[in-house]
Amino acid sequence: MDKLHLEIIQPTKIKIRDDYDHIIVPGVDGDFGVDLNHTPFITKIRPGILQLYKGKKIDKYAIHDGFVTVENNIIIIVCDIIENENEIKYKRAEDSKNRAEKRTKSSGKDIDFRRAELSLKRALVRLQLSVK
Amino acid sequence: MATLKEIKLRIESVKNTRHITNAMKMVAASKLRRAQENILQARPYADHINDMLKTIKLKNTTTSHLLLTDISGEGKTALIIVTSDRGLCGSFNSQIIRKAQLYIKKNSNVDIICIGKKGFGFFKTHSKKVIDSYINLFNEMDFSVSKDVAEKILNLYLQENYIKIDVLYNEFKSAIQQDIIVKQLLPINPIESENILKLDFLYEPDEDTIIEELGRKYIHVDIWRIMLESSAAEQGARMTAMDSATDNAADMIDNLTLFYNRARQAMITKEIIEIASGAEAIQQ
Repeated sequence: MDKLHLEIIQPTKIKIRDDYDHIIVPGVDGDFGVDLNHTPFITKIRPGILQLYKGKKIDKYAIHDGFVTVENNIIIIVCDIIENENEIKYKRAEDSKNRAEKRTKSSGKDIDFRRAELSLKRALVRLQLSVK
Repeated sequence: MATLKEIKLRIESVKNTRHITNAMKMVAASKLRRAQENILQARPYADHINDMLKTIKLKNTTTSHLLLTDISGEGKTALIIVTSDRGLCGSFNSQIIRKAQLYIKKNSNVDIICIGKKGFGFFKTHSKKVIDSYINLFNEMDFSVSKDVAEKILNLYLQENYIKIDVLYNEFKSAIQQDIIVKQLLPINPIESENILKLDFLYEPDEDTIIEELGRKYIHVDIWRIMLESSAAEQGARMTAMDSATDNAADMIDNLTLFYNRARQAMITKEIIEIASGAEAIQQ
């Protein structure tokens, strides 16, 4: 096997099942690249951009949480939300960014800061992808 | 005896009922199909998370994470009762309520969480221990909805010192068969699997964080699966109930029609007798 087999599994469907040459995953402790014969590895994903290299083509996806397992050149990503450029609405991402920013800055007691922060992070990742 | 007009009206109304039950049967069938598809699609995700958790649990016999560790001794437990939001589905809800009552009688100190309007409607008047309820979720079933429910249950478990949380629900076997199942939701007990990952893994960040997050995801997808199962079972039960209701309506229509014809015949006979005896009287 000279390709990396990638499966991206969501609760409601299998999003991707394909072979790639090189993959860059945003892990909690930093982005890491996966090439052939990577050491067995489990990590949590942080909100970021997942890059899939196939020949000269690069596919980019915004990913927000989940886990990645690397074993025997098989990479399995389980996550709740993953979107490619076409699925992201720039306007919507910008709106939700502004909303989340406002919420993190306000000092109300009834505001769930963890949630606001998460949604801000998600919006930023989406914007990053749709600008590029 | 009922007049002809009354019988006719009766037949019309039963015909209408038959239309409605037949339509409900069709709707239930299509909803059932959708729920079944969702169950199938959730399977790879659930399986993989189960495998990962099982792997970690096997490798690290020393971990004592709250989500994974059995707590021995006495303590309060919680029971999640999954019923439907709507009626007209045969004995679907009454059976689960009966099972729940048995469970509550057997185990002391049980708090109740209701998913579904029918169960909540019953237990809010028959028990004082309903601590939480989620109603009208089945209409717009979505993973994010079940995720919210799962998060609330997780937080309850972590904060309130329950020794375990069980869930009681209908599992879909076939369109005509549902099994009532009691399953331990928390602490998590990953099921045996052949796909245990065998290699020594590096973990990033650390095992506890991974277990915590994986455990949460496990519960998210478990609640999602349970709700899908229950919804599929509900639609199956409704389909069967509406099917026999349609049959019954057809039988009723047959009987009423027979009755109607007899009454009509009797009336005609009576009229003829009257005419005939009238004519005879004139002749004499």
